[in-house]
Amino acid sequence: MPSRKRRRPRLIGVAMAAIAVVSAVSVGAVIGRSQAARPSTAQPDLPNLNGIWQALNEANFDLEPHPARAAMSLRQDQPYNVTTNIPSPPVVALGAVGSVPGGIGVVDGGSIPYRPEALVKKRDNQKNWLERDPEIKCYLPGVPRATYMPYPFQIVQSPTSMMFLYEYAGAVRTISFKDPGPPPVDSWMGQSVGRWEGQTLVIDVTGFNDQTWFDRAGNFHSDKLHVTERYTRLTNEHLMYEAIIEDPEVFTRPWKITMPLYRRMEKNASLVEFRCVEFVEELLYGQLRKKPLAN
Amino acid sequence: MDHRYSTFSWAVAVGIVLSAAASSTGQTPASGASAAANKSGSSSTSWKAPRTADGRPDLGGVWTNNNITPLERPKQWQGKAVLTEQELAELKQLAAGVVEGGDDAIFGDNLVLLALERKKNATSRDGCAGRAVTEECATSGNYNAFWLPTRDFHNPRTSLVIDPADGRIPALTPEAQQRAKAAAEHRRLHPADGPEDRPFGERCLAFGVPRLQAAYMSYMQLFQTTTHVGILNELGYETRIVPVDGAAHIGGSIRQWKGDSRGRWEGDTLVVETTNFPQKGAFMNATDALRLVERFTRVSPDILNYEVTINDPKTWEKPWTILIPLKRSSDQVYEFACHEGNHGMAGILAGARAEERALTQSSEGSTP
Repeated sequence: MPSRKRRRPRLIGVAMAAIAVVSAVSVGAVIGRSQAARPSTAQPDLPNLNGIWQALNEANFDLEPHPARAAMSLRQDQPYNVTTNIPSPPVVALGAVGSVPGGIGVVDGGSIPYRPEALVKKRDNQKNWLERDPEIKCYLPGVPRATYMPYPFQIVQSPTSMMFLYEYAGAVRTISFKDPGPPPVDSWMGQSVGRWEGQTLVIDVTGFNDQTWFDRAGNFHSDKLHVTERYTRLTNEHLMYEAIIEDPEVFTRPWKITMPLYRRMEKNASLVEFRCVEFVEELLYGQLRKKPLAN
Repeated sequence: MDHRYSTFSWAVAVGIVLSAAASSTGQTPASGASAAANKSGSSSTSWKAPRTADGRPDLGGVWTNNNITPLERPKQWQGKAVLTEQELAELKQLAAGVVEGGDDAIFGDNLVLLALERKKNATSRDGCAGRAVTEECATSGNYNAFWLPTRDFHNPRTSLVIDPADGRIPALTPEAQQRAKAAAEHRRLHPADGPEDRPFGERCLAFGVPRLQAAYMSYMQLFQTTTHVGILNELGYETRIVPVDGAAHIGGSIRQWKGDSRGRWEGDTLVVETTNFPQKGAFMNATDALRLVERFTRVSPDILNYEVTINDPKTWEKPWTILIPLKRSSDQVYEFACHEGNHGMAGILAGARAEERALTQSSEGSTP
């Protein structure tokens, strides 16, 4: 019988020995060498990132600084003497609920350094947001977008491996601490390889497809995307999150976003399942029903 | 018709994820693991599981269920709970004969059932799910053997079901029989009127907890901390994070495809209790009354016993328990972007509409 054919064997630590359950006592400990150089035993000097975290900002609406606007999708014609654009017909019914809160932006230096032709595509994406934003179809969000969507995510951290589970769409990433080599296949969430630099968890994410966006404003990338994430524990309740974004096909230089992440403090805080697939079946398949529903 | 729809969808949905595997190197099956050496279900007295820093058995890593063992005991093995090493070796030979020279994917329990019938060079029965095997549904043409891993023969048991002792799932309650009958009738009348008429897996909604089917993305990766255990299943890329810190279950009004799991340690066994399933669940037509008790125990360096007691008084006359000896794997668990690649669903529905049009046209054409 044939084997399950795999690109390469998985690298597993001999013992995924205990978690870096770092008590508050050890947080201040000096961290030296990288994870790779450490034995795979308990590592009480590493920061403990376990918990449920969430961004609290407007980045998922638009990474760049932006004023409030009436809707994500706006009419292209503006027939009246309005001070703000009128929402496009499909989203008018949402009223203020469908509007976009303004935000000071999370991009270092303010704007994203698009190549000229890529900027044209970004603007086109934004105009066609309803048809193109993968979030509308409940598609996997990619990185870094998963981090700052308006849903919490949970980190499960052991010394040799780590898992991030995002409430949105149940998206999940596993972070390997041994370099498994080049990603065998493009994926929505990419291949994540982690290391520790002092108190900071650094994750190199590569192997993306070109299907995910950065926000609801049409900011996009190609399959050459390389994201370098940095998670630094500021206090027990705060992480600082940075993501350096490189994609020479779309941007003229690497650029960076920065934002704090906050621990969900509720007693018994818990991710609640958000399998949005069923929520979008009418949108995706409604016209293929035997009896399409009346509007 | 049913099987064509369903297999088409699957092939497209998963093809995207695994297409890269085509150029990959083969995985070498574990060698030298005899039934005796890896005897499942019983812990060696001399062996003690490696520990985490907090002194718990270390369950972390990737575990697979590629066992040949069928869910229920086949009639050929009636009254026989465990195979001898020689019988296992014979079974392995028979199983090799089933796929000898053929390139068809033999899914799930079908491999062992065909082996017991001493079939040679068989075609798959994946179109026969829940139906009597006929020539029509036993044909394939959708999946080939590339999609399946090498089967393991380290489990000497003749069924995954260890309780009841006959190795068979207890009878359905009258209520559940009624439900099954109604569901079958609905499928017959409305095979693909809308996405809701297709199985949950085909819709990429959920693949159910627990996972019993072997050898099809049946990989489980465990992540373990003092307070939580993460359980990632490759099929569906579904994840549970199980608090083991004594936290209370979420509210009863919150129903989830994967339920709500809470764990605790009983000696060297991780015990996970799961409730809060939906009224119409993804596991074997179970209901919101489903309550699972999963027990994870390392019994040898490469074997993690996964024992699950399944209790849904609305569905089965009594609780039943399965045992799967999961095997440690050096494989990588891959992203399963099911919904994102589900061109199959649009194809199924569009195909059903086309058939309806063709039927209408032909009946119009035949009317004078």
